Amino acid sequence: MCLGIPGRIVEIHDTQGLPMGVVDFGGVRREVCLAYVKDEIQPGDYAIVHVGFAISKVDEAEAKRTFEVLREMSQLDELKWMEGLAT
Amino acid sequence: MKYLSEYRDPAVARALVTEIKRSATRRWVLMEVCGGQTHTIVKQGLDELLNEAVEMVHGPGCPVCVTPLEQIDKALALASRPDVIFTSFGDMLRVPGSECDLLAVRARGGAVKIVYSPLDALELARKHPDKQVVFFAVGFETTAPANAMAVWRAKQLGVKNFSVLVSHVTVPPAMMALLESPDNRVQGFLAAGHVCTIMGWTEYEPIAAKYKVPIVVTGFEPLDILEGMLLAVRQLEEGRHEVENQYVRSVRRDGNQPAQDLVSQVFELVDRSWRGIGPIPRSGLGVRAEFAEFDAERKFAVDGIRTAEPTICRAGDVLRGVLKPFDCPAFGTLCTPEHPLGAPMVSSEGACAAYYNYGRFRNGAPV
Repeated sequence: MCLGIPGRIVEIHDTQGLPMGVVDFGGVRREVCLAYVKDEIQPGDYAIVHVGFAISKVDEAEAKRTFEVLREMSQLDELKWMEGLAT
Repeated sequence: MKYLSEYRDPAVARALVTEIKRSATRRWVLMEVCGGQTHTIVKQGLDELLNEAVEMVHGPGCPVCVTPLEQIDKALALASRPDVIFTSFGDMLRVPGSECDLLAVRARGGAVKIVYSPLDALELARKHPDKQVVFFAVGFETTAPANAMAVWRAKQLGVKNFSVLVSHVTVPPAMMALLESPDNRVQGFLAAGHVCTIMGWTEYEPIAAKYKVPIVVTGFEPLDILEGMLLAVRQLEEGRHEVENQYVRSVRRDGNQPAQDLVSQVFELVDRSWRGIGPIPRSGLGVRAEFAEFDAERKFAVDGIRTAEPTICRAGDVLRGVLKPFDCPAFGTLCTPEHPLGAPMVSSEGACAAYYNYGRFRNGAPV
């Protein structure tokens, strides 16, 4: 129910005073309400979209940092695994 | 980055599993309070992988499952009216009411339509000025801003034939109710990342401090959930009980302020009954008096509803984490996704449906 899907903002426009936009979800494009993120987003940014509303801008720097930490952990794990084989 | 596939990397998942097992000196009981996370955990078998280190208890994290029978029966009564087009998210259509579900009402000729967004329901009202369009506004804090916007926008545009049947619930009061319960076993929580995207995590800080439970704001992909578990286990092992944020790419401490502002303009805190759990004070949202004309319960007389839950169904114990779905006598026999008795068997995010769909018919390995 609280499913939120990251998509790339392609276009921003105004529909009768409501900030709206087009968001691309891996090739599928949808009209999305941008009222809750309008002050922080620009075309090209990623946003998390829930029931037709962007609820946050994806923080790309944080996303990369978290992922790198996890990646390093997996490389360490592999290293340990190989050490285990050697001994 | 696309922010999806990267968080499903099996090699990284394996490393996280190893690290959680290495960190845990005993078996800890964690609860996730989000149906999306429940679905991922059971589908990927994360709980079985970590069985020796962590017991995952599935909390009341599916709004479809906790919507009280009374509200479902009101929806059925409204959807049966010839002047009403009843609109809803798809997952609500098969939730059993006392006598039938919304799909059955549709089969009898009721106008029941699935919408993707509450703004689509509002648009439908503008296209059909001769009909009353009612939207079933259910959900947690994540969905409240979208539903609030539909009401606010209806008022702004002067759409008179649109209203909402509200059954909104909020997570922190339910967590406290679980922690206060004498049979509580939960030692730490994974908090729902999208609920916190809207609300931030300041509400959780006093809960973590008072009940001495770690609360980790967690995302939805397998790696998010595993990292959330690792952070919670580390806190438990070190005797800490803090709020930590795993889902940093979406959640900020204060949440989404414009969304919170519109929600509090349109809705106010009310007492709500949770299906299977019972009434929890100030655990839900209702329409404020200023927007009363858009409140379907005030607009239409839907009183005099008498409800009856099937007595064999143990959904309440499952939702509180006291029983696992396979401990219920009706699970998989009288109650299946095709013929659900209780709401957790309906939505794919419900614990019972997840256990059924992924072959969890008894403790341990799938049958």
